[in-house]
Amino acid sequence: MRILLVEDDAMIGDAVVAGLSADGYAVDWVRDGSAAELSINTHPYALILLDLGLSKRDGLSVLRTMRARKQDVPVLIITARDTVADRIAGLDAGADDYLIKPFDLDELSARARALLRRAAGRAEPLVQRGALTLNPATHEVRLHGGSVDVSAREFALLLALAERAGSVVSRSQLEEKLYGWNEAVGSNAIEVHVHNLRRKLGESIIRNVRGLGYTLD
Amino acid sequence: MRAFSIRRRLLAALLGALLGAGLIAALATYASARGEVDALLDDELRQIALSLRDHAQLDVARLQRASDDPELRVLVQIWDPAFERPYSSRAIDPLPRLKAEGFATVEHEGRSWRIYATPSGTQAIQVAQPTALRAELAARSAGRLLLPVVVLLPFLGLLGWWIVGRGLAPLSGVAQTLAQRDPTSLQPVAVEELPIEVQPLVESLNALLQRLEGSFDTQRRFAADAAHELRTPLTALTLQVQLAARAQSELERATALERMEQGVKRATRLVQQLLTMARLDPEAAQMPAVPIDLALLAAVVVDELQPLAAQKSITLQMQAPEPVRVIGQEDALRILLTNLIDNAIRYTAPGGRVDVSVQQSNASVHLIVQDNGPGVPADERERVFDRFYRGRDAAAGGSGLGLAIVRQIAEMHGGSVTLRPRTDASGLQALASFPAAP
Repeated sequence: MRILLVEDDAMIGDAVVAGLSADGYAVDWVRDGSAAELSINTHPYALILLDLGLSKRDGLSVLRTMRARKQDVPVLIITARDTVADRIAGLDAGADDYLIKPFDLDELSARARALLRRAAGRAEPLVQRGALTLNPATHEVRLHGGSVDVSAREFALLLALAERAGSVVSRSQLEEKLYGWNEAVGSNAIEVHVHNLRRKLGESIIRNVRGLGYTLD
Repeated sequence: MRAFSIRRRLLAALLGALLGAGLIAALATYASARGEVDALLDDELRQIALSLRDHAQLDVARLQRASDDPELRVLVQIWDPAFERPYSSRAIDPLPRLKAEGFATVEHEGRSWRIYATPSGTQAIQVAQPTALRAELAARSAGRLLLPVVVLLPFLGLLGWWIVGRGLAPLSGVAQTLAQRDPTSLQPVAVEELPIEVQPLVESLNALLQRLEGSFDTQRRFAADAAHELRTPLTALTLQVQLAARAQSELERATALERMEQGVKRATRLVQQLLTMARLDPEAAQMPAVPIDLALLAAVVVDELQPLAAQKSITLQMQAPEPVRVIGQEDALRILLTNLIDNAIRYTAPGGRVDVSVQQSNASVHLIVQDNGPGVPADERERVFDRFYRGRDAAAGGSGLGLAIVRQIAEMHGGSVTLRPRTDASGLQALASFPAAP
């Protein structure tokens, strides 16, 4: 899952990137409103974490512009503006959720998961595909009831495929979802993850559609 | 001073004055009545004596009357050489015989007597009367004047109590209005309906309320801003603590801990700046101002900041040809200097240069801090003086208060501070101007 973080404070930005990356998300981090706008228009993000007090362009104006352009990416506002009026203004401008600083990293993750779940059209927290059950909160993978250990990145890949089960996801789409800007992506990184997952879950779990990409059966 | 009641004071003064006036009137009456009684009774004595002497035919009836009348209590004595003892109209110890003719006042057996003596051939006639009688008569007429005053006094007291109470009623009205208002309301009290005497008091009160509201507003806004600003470092800290707790490896933990330390430093710095700002409140501006050599103070601050400049290999130099005096507070000016020079060092790339100069031109003292850093964009040169404003390219960890503090201190000293680009090279010039000490 690729997330855009818009945050002008270096220390907070650093920490959020570190925390979300550890959860297996690919995080792009920009520090001002203009850069945020540019990123939103050039990359397909699964979620945007938006601070409001930004330089160059205010967060709310970024949000309104993107909603006016029918960009429906879930947006979670993270801000120190804590009055009820601020929260209402944020939600009415098109935000899906509102989190007040200082916030808890676990809560941020949980809210991010909830928004991603809703965006994928699910209400239940677990993702179930045939004999496979994924728990995004704990990164737990169960196959036929038995627990299987996977890395954060492998889990992210599996989840990306599971959420679009039945359709084919290309390698570059997966790379987009799994890696942020600053991460060097090896030319066969996705193949390596797929190989590892097949080793752990069985060869038939991920099907290779030649020339197109991967799909979960 | 102990608290007192205006009502009681006014009443006591009023009644005292009334009683005093009554007493003075009575005393004056007594004095003038006494004079009149004296003249009248002296004449009476003389008449009796002369009629005794001149009329062979004594008006016995009159004498008898005068002698018996307890009001007059006249004593007639006649000395005749033919008799051993003088004649006395009343059976009392004889009064001494006067040597000279005319009036005299004599003490006899504890009583004071008024005597008129006149010779009559070989005889001597003395007519006497106790002086107490005269005092009594005068006092009686004085008493007649005083009596109504004394009788009326309690009624006047009650009346006065009521009148003064009514007169002071508007004051209790104001007190009640104030007591009933919302504790957070600093709205002025309506003055129009109040008596002229109470208006100045209420107007002063209103002025005080207004000043209070102003300073409450400032404080409230400041507290809100400060709380808002503290959230950012606290958020960073919270996140770093959680990252440290989640850390899988020693390296991750060490990184998180190091960042936490930076976060704590940053929060500490913000709190320090907030404290500085709070201390610079308008009240603190009333601290005593003394003549200060700004050139010397700048040199001291430059010395203090040399290690910081050395860390970044920045050349920090100071130029002040002569002592320059301004009137102000040393601590505040030291903060101003530190903030300006510290900023210059912070925003100048390693290997750069920061120049500080202090000079006087006419009645102004100019402090110039210039660097060869990136400068500040034109549209931000004023905004950076706003509280909590951080420029687009501001270094991380700034509190956003440094320049706001600088401006506040400059204005406290009747001076100003501005930022402008250097004309001779790239970089920023901070110019603070103060009125020179006379």
